[in-house]
Amino acid sequence: MRQAGTYSGILSGGISGKTGPHLLPLARIKKIMKKSGEDVKMISGESPIVFSKACELFIKELTQRSWMVTMQGKRRTLNKEDVASAVMATDLFDFLVNLVSESGNSGEAPPPLELDTFASS
Amino acid sequence: MEDEIKHGNVTHVPNKGSPESPHVACSDSNHNNNNSNNKEQDRFLPIANVSRILKKVIPSNGKISKDAKETIQECVSEFISFVTGEASDKCQREKRKTINGDDIIWAITTLGFEEYVGPLKLYLSKYREMEGEKLIFPKQQRSDQRRQHSEYEQNIVFNNNNNININTNSNNDVYSSINVYPSFVPSDQPFSLPFSSNSFQKQL
Repeated sequence: MRQAGTYSGILSGGISGKTGPHLLPLARIKKIMKKSGEDVKMISGESPIVFSKACELFIKELTQRSWMVTMQGKRRTLNKEDVASAVMATDLFDFLVNLVSESGNSGEAPPPLELDTFASS
Repeated sequence: MEDEIKHGNVTHVPNKGSPESPHVACSDSNHNNNNSNNKEQDRFLPIANVSRILKKVIPSNGKISKDAKETIQECVSEFISFVTGEASDKCQREKRKTINGDDIIWAITTLGFEEYVGPLKLYLSKYREMEGEKLIFPKQQRSDQRRQHSEYEQNIVFNNNNNININTNSNNDVYSSINVYPSFVPSDQPFSLPFSSNSFQKQL
């Protein structure tokens, strides 16, 4: 409790400029980090802090790109296929290609158009 | 696997009846939804937090479907794993045991997310300054007690913020790897922090 008072009192409206010290739970970030590999043994206290900000930036970028796809479709609801399209269209998100393909190909959306067009040309 | 993924919500997976669960560590109603669901939830960041962030970048009249949020949630976890893997490899090559913030930033740069590095470095340096400064609430006593309490506070901070032990064997090693910068923050800060800049100027 004491930590919440001093920490959030100083950081609220400060570093992230948002409510509360961090937008994402540090403990959960650490768990995910540890699950990424057996070699990951010790994590400094500041690593989840860095990730908290990095994930925020990542989420924002992915969402912005996805939203652009939504707007191209003249829609106002961002759906999963838009996310998949954004991933396919961005080299930076290559590591996500399998992830969104698995999600998307559970029988619903066809593969993104970019790849088909590219392959046929 | 994908069929069973539930993202931070109480699920309707059939075999989650509590008396039938082979072993339930916690009797909390959330944890009664069998252990595999619990683990699945732990794989992702809470969807509420993710939602809050992504709503900031779409117009107020925009909407996001639930499956889109879940997909983004999965992508973030993948991002964390991806970057952590790189950082971990680097530490192994350099024969270091602890992944620190600079390793993360290095990995993020190496993997192509250079744009993030500027804000991240700023964020990290602010955090390090805060760590050195934030400890004692009364500002007048801050300069006196800061040195006494810096180590103590490190443990307090990370014990209270982080309920789960990072490393069950040697917590102190992890905590001692944190660098606390006890020096005063100069008054010309890159961020405009109205409340803190006032307090800092009082210090100076």
